[in-house]
Amino acid sequence: MAMAIDNAFEVDFCSYSTSTTTTTTADEDPACTWNHWGSPVVDWGSLSSERDEFQDLIESMMDDGTGFELTRLGHDHETSNSVSVSVSTDTMVADEETNGEDFKGLRMVHLLMAAAEALMGANKSLARVILVRLKELVSPSDGTNMERLAAYFTEALQSLLEGSGGGHSKHLITNGPQHHRDKHREADMLAAFQLLQDMSPYVKFGHFTANQAILEAVTHDRRIHIVDYDIMEGIQWASLMQALVSRKEGPLTPHLRITALSRGSNGWRSIGTIQETGRRLTAFASSIGQPFSFHQCRLDSDETFRPSALKLVRGEALIINCMLNLPHFSHRPPSSVASFLSGAKTLNPRLVTLVEEEAGPIGDGGFMGRFMDSLHHYSAVFDSLEAGFPMQCRARALVERVILGPQIAGSLTQIYRNRNEEESGRWSEWLDTMGFNPVSISFANYCQAKLLLGLFNDGYRVEELANNRVVLDWKSRRLLSASIWTSPPDSDL
Amino acid sequence: QPDSGLVLTTDPKPRLRWTVELHDRFVDAVTQLGGPDKATPKTIMRVMGVKGLTLYHLKSHLQKFRLGKQPHKEFNDHSIKDVAHTWYAIRMQMEVQRRLHEQLEVQRHLQLRIEAQGKYMQSILEKACQTLAGENMAAAGGAAGGYKGVGNHRGVLPHMDGAMKDNFGPTLNFSPFQDLNIYGGDQHLDIQHNVERSSPSLDGHFMSNKRHGPYGGGGGTGKSPLIWSDELRLQDLGMAPSCLGPQDDPFKTGVIQIGPPSIDTSGIGKLESLSDIYDTKPGISNDGIDERKFELSPKPERPSPRRAPFQTERMNP
Repeated sequence: MAMAIDNAFEVDFCSYSTSTTTTTTADEDPACTWNHWGSPVVDWGSLSSERDEFQDLIESMMDDGTGFELTRLGHDHETSNSVSVSVSTDTMVADEETNGEDFKGLRMVHLLMAAAEALMGANKSLARVILVRLKELVSPSDGTNMERLAAYFTEALQSLLEGSGGGHSKHLITNGPQHHRDKHREADMLAAFQLLQDMSPYVKFGHFTANQAILEAVTHDRRIHIVDYDIMEGIQWASLMQALVSRKEGPLTPHLRITALSRGSNGWRSIGTIQETGRRLTAFASSIGQPFSFHQCRLDSDETFRPSALKLVRGEALIINCMLNLPHFSHRPPSSVASFLSGAKTLNPRLVTLVEEEAGPIGDGGFMGRFMDSLHHYSAVFDSLEAGFPMQCRARALVERVILGPQIAGSLTQIYRNRNEEESGRWSEWLDTMGFNPVSISFANYCQAKLLLGLFNDGYRVEELANNRVVLDWKSRRLLSASIWTSPPDSDL
Repeated sequence: QPDSGLVLTTDPKPRLRWTVELHDRFVDAVTQLGGPDKATPKTIMRVMGVKGLTLYHLKSHLQKFRLGKQPHKEFNDHSIKDVAHTWYAIRMQMEVQRRLHEQLEVQRHLQLRIEAQGKYMQSILEKACQTLAGENMAAAGGAAGGYKGVGNHRGVLPHMDGAMKDNFGPTLNFSPFQDLNIYGGDQHLDIQHNVERSSPSLDGHFMSNKRHGPYGGGGGTGKSPLIWSDELRLQDLGMAPSCLGPQDDPFKTGVIQIGPPSIDTSGIGKLESLSDIYDTKPGISNDGIDERKFELSPKPERPSPRRAPFQTERMNP
């Protein structure tokens, strides 16, 4: 990889004081963090070919009285390991109040932003250099939350840079000689998944809210048919079945039919195949006496959903279940999700349950805004895990590596792909404009969510943002949204 | 008009009893005189012409008549309010109780649902371990030495004896996540504090007697009673992982491992780190486990809230 510039340089943000007291990127407005920097020393000579947005950004920082030191080094970037931070620290205007950890954390953020900006500006070489520097500073397996988070973002940006389409390629399961290693991966995945469930309400929140709404919608039905967009290992349906076999109203233990949508390749994230999920669910259902049948419905190669491919039975209550959140593969192609939800509408379902990640308000932030929002989002997730289990670093590291890291990569890929588009918005808003009717979330459902969160850390909260939508927050950050819908009464089929 | 016999009470202080007849005549008189506002005790007395009826009697009766036209009811404003308040208070209490009951229902259902998920996860983990075991058996030729029990905090699988198996049960060892030590570490898990603070919560059920219990030196403010409860329930429900193999099998002692127990060095290294994931608290011993299992006195089939004295008291006024 030939570099466009002769000399590697080290972008080093230093010599500023910060008033941030947390290691998270709490600031919604990144600009305000630049205000505390010292005097700038800039050598743009080596960057003559690099004038771009990034530079404008730096200059505007300078105008604000912020500054950083751009140290030009004569080393090749591969040996920049030997270039220690101390070179630049000599010239640092250190502030007495600088907190070492906050300092580093903020530095990470700035580097990440710089790298993202460079990428946005198609300035690959600059981005590459920054990422190299980042990789020296952070590692996914140690350091603070902020540092590990930065490491995953760095990896994600790296994948984008290399154009590998989201950073999942190296994780794809293949058959043959890789098989043995895949089992390790699967074991990792299982362990991480179990841990995620134990350490956080992220999995159960969506599943239980959806399930409760489903239960309330089918109290008098004998036959229930659920079409599941991303069934994964099927755990959502275990608790639904339990509730169905023990229900007291209506026809006892209705028949449950589940159709799982399957894709050509589930990628590395799958714990086994759809068929295995089906077998498991069948076995579980049988163990508790739940009448059950399982079907698959293939999506097209581009993951488009065709309603005609579904087998429907008259008299069954049709439920559309769409889980788009952790640990489901959050970043399915939007066209696929859209095809699923719009196709669902033509089927006139009794209920549509939608759980998705909640993004912050981006406004005019564009790519950088969404990038920062994603950083904020995942820093909240990392923090929430740490708050609950501060001593269990390795358990958290496993979850971060196996589940959150790839999520971050997927998130950035999606942000990058849609960088020139308008804010993509929420699927719940989309459903609204599509004409689906909201279904109120009952007191029991809301109460269940609160009780569930109460089992974990106090930092989790439920917010009722609409009568059909509840949101899971960590401290002040909204993370997950669960909303319930039904098709309008007079919809044409 | 004829003399009507007035009915006097037999009190020490005889009072006039307004019978229906007398009252009817009173009403007639008042009507004749143009209504309760026009009539006066004097004029009423004259019109009624009842012997023994005094102005005093009429004054008080007329007043009552004017107020409510229901002279037989002897309540006044004050007691109306009392009744209203009482009635309202009862209604409120009923509402509160209804809500409380509903919350308890939700709580109960939540617990069952969490357990169901736990059971399901168990089946996945078992299957995975089965697969792994099969593979590694084939690959390794049955060597037992290289395996390490991840769930065993001592990290030594093959040396578990039968007693251990009985105590731990398959499910405990099955999942390292259920090793209390994950949620142990060196800090005190403030379960008790959390338990007491939240109500109605699942405290009565999950925590059982608010012991430090398995969380002994728990960590941070995270509480995961879910795991513990799941594990015990699973024991109750007699879920025996099917990969408990027969003889000559490193799993015969009932320990299922999760994670790749390959005997190549990289595999072992990984395993070690997996087991180290769960910080070991040296204090946990067999006794602790036994006691825990014992105290929870597991119920078969349908678990119900084991201990919710607070709530039950409220429910049974």
